[in-house]
Amino acid sequence: MSIITISRQDGSLGDEIAVRLSQRMNMQLILRDRVISEWMAEVANKYQLHMLSESPRFYLSEFKDGMSFKVYIEKILIKFAEMTPSVIVGMGAQIIFSDHPDALRVRIIASEQTRTERLRKKYGLTGNEAEKLVQQGDKKHRRYTSVLYGVEWTEMFNYDLVMNTDNLSVEQCVEIIVHHIETKSLLSSQSFSDDDENNISQKDYQAIHFKHPAEEEFARILDMYGIEWEYEPRTFPVQWDAEGNVTMAFSPDFYLTKFDTYIEITTMEQKYVTIKNKKVKRLRELYPDININIVYKKDFHTLLKRFGFSGEDEINEFNRS
Amino acid sequence: MNLTGVKKIIFGEETILNRIAEMGKQISDDYRDKHPVLISVLKGTMYFVADLTRQMDIPLNIDFMSIGVYPGITKNTGIVRINKDLDINITGRHVLMIEDIINTGLTMGYLVQNMEARKPASIKVCTLLNNPHKRLMNIPLEYVGFQVPDIMLVGYGIDCNQEFRHLPYIAQFDDSVLTG
Repeated sequence: MSIITISRQDGSLGDEIAVRLSQRMNMQLILRDRVISEWMAEVANKYQLHMLSESPRFYLSEFKDGMSFKVYIEKILIKFAEMTPSVIVGMGAQIIFSDHPDALRVRIIASEQTRTERLRKKYGLTGNEAEKLVQQGDKKHRRYTSVLYGVEWTEMFNYDLVMNTDNLSVEQCVEIIVHHIETKSLLSSQSFSDDDENNISQKDYQAIHFKHPAEEEFARILDMYGIEWEYEPRTFPVQWDAEGNVTMAFSPDFYLTKFDTYIEITTMEQKYVTIKNKKVKRLRELYPDININIVYKKDFHTLLKRFGFSGEDEINEFNRS
Repeated sequence: MNLTGVKKIIFGEETILNRIAEMGKQISDDYRDKHPVLISVLKGTMYFVADLTRQMDIPLNIDFMSIGVYPGITKNTGIVRINKDLDINITGRHVLMIEDIINTGLTMGYLVQNMEARKPASIKVCTLLNNPHKRLMNIPLEYVGFQVPDIMLVGYGIDCNQEFRHLPYIAQFDDSVLTG
């Protein structure tokens, strides 16, 4: 494991866990403050550094040859992480490294009550002051990933491991992460059985966090035909509020790289399908060059039957979760 | 002849042959001096490729390919196997894939990738019927006979459980008779 991203709520002990983890794993620790004070100071003036500390939207502004601060940070994070195994805290790293095969994306959370109490003790605040600090922090973090990536910060599917520190210590969390990494390394080093007669490379499906079992089945069908795919590689903002904040985004389930086509699988009830249809319609309007197809419940079941899933029980399995 | 389930005729024999004659002329014009290899995907294309190639007035080769999907050994997997591979070496040749109908595009996607690995000079796709409603991927179709609605069809090579291929027309099929 060469990259561990840590997303944390204020007062969740996420920073402390990142420090201990980097020491334990002998990995470079990359904090937002360091990025701003060391890396960004080389390319940004005092005013720009101030704005980078205050406004997520300012990261989208271009500063050199059409390059935005956002893109610059992404490039430099990727460059450093590839040179040295790194623990990266915040900065939307869970999105930047979402497709990286050697990245573990961790999120540290705790209840608002626990976090308020921790901040109150740490900074000698009143209960109200600490509560306000927690809420402001959440808002700021949420806004950062929303503005820069169109992604909801609290969306659990953007993380590989989520830990609640209400009842876990820093050391316990570090141990869980280390154990996860060691187990994953062990599994990935084991060879697969050679029962794949079609010479299609077996994928470690469990390492991909499909949101729904139907998506994994669809991935297997694509693999049967040797059709290359990526899982949720891109998020498209499809709606903004009056201030330009992204209020709705859409991440199609699959991208077929060779055929330049996105696919959204839906096996859900009609009311949710309507929402998906609306998103797909908006996406087509806003991104007319993007090819996207939606696979509905009926079509998906037809596909499954074609490949031998004729039993209703098996098909219904896909609708339970 | 037992035609249980066969409903209204969508494309009659004359309509099919007229359209194929147009396609044959267009393909001949496009491939003149290119000596293409037409690869017919069995079994559904047998009548189509026979009628199409007899409407073409250029030198060409014909080969056949057949693939099948089989249950896999492991849970929830299957295997795509080539039942009949090409006899002709297509490296450096202009290839035209011939299909009866393209629905999801999975089969054609597999075949196009398979053909590309053999380094032909070009690959294009010709299909008699195109059902875009179930399409999963963006496959460029160079020649299309007819656009069809999302209904089950039989005839002119297209089967249901290996029946009805020999009908000279293309008809809608009522698949409820299979379960009813």
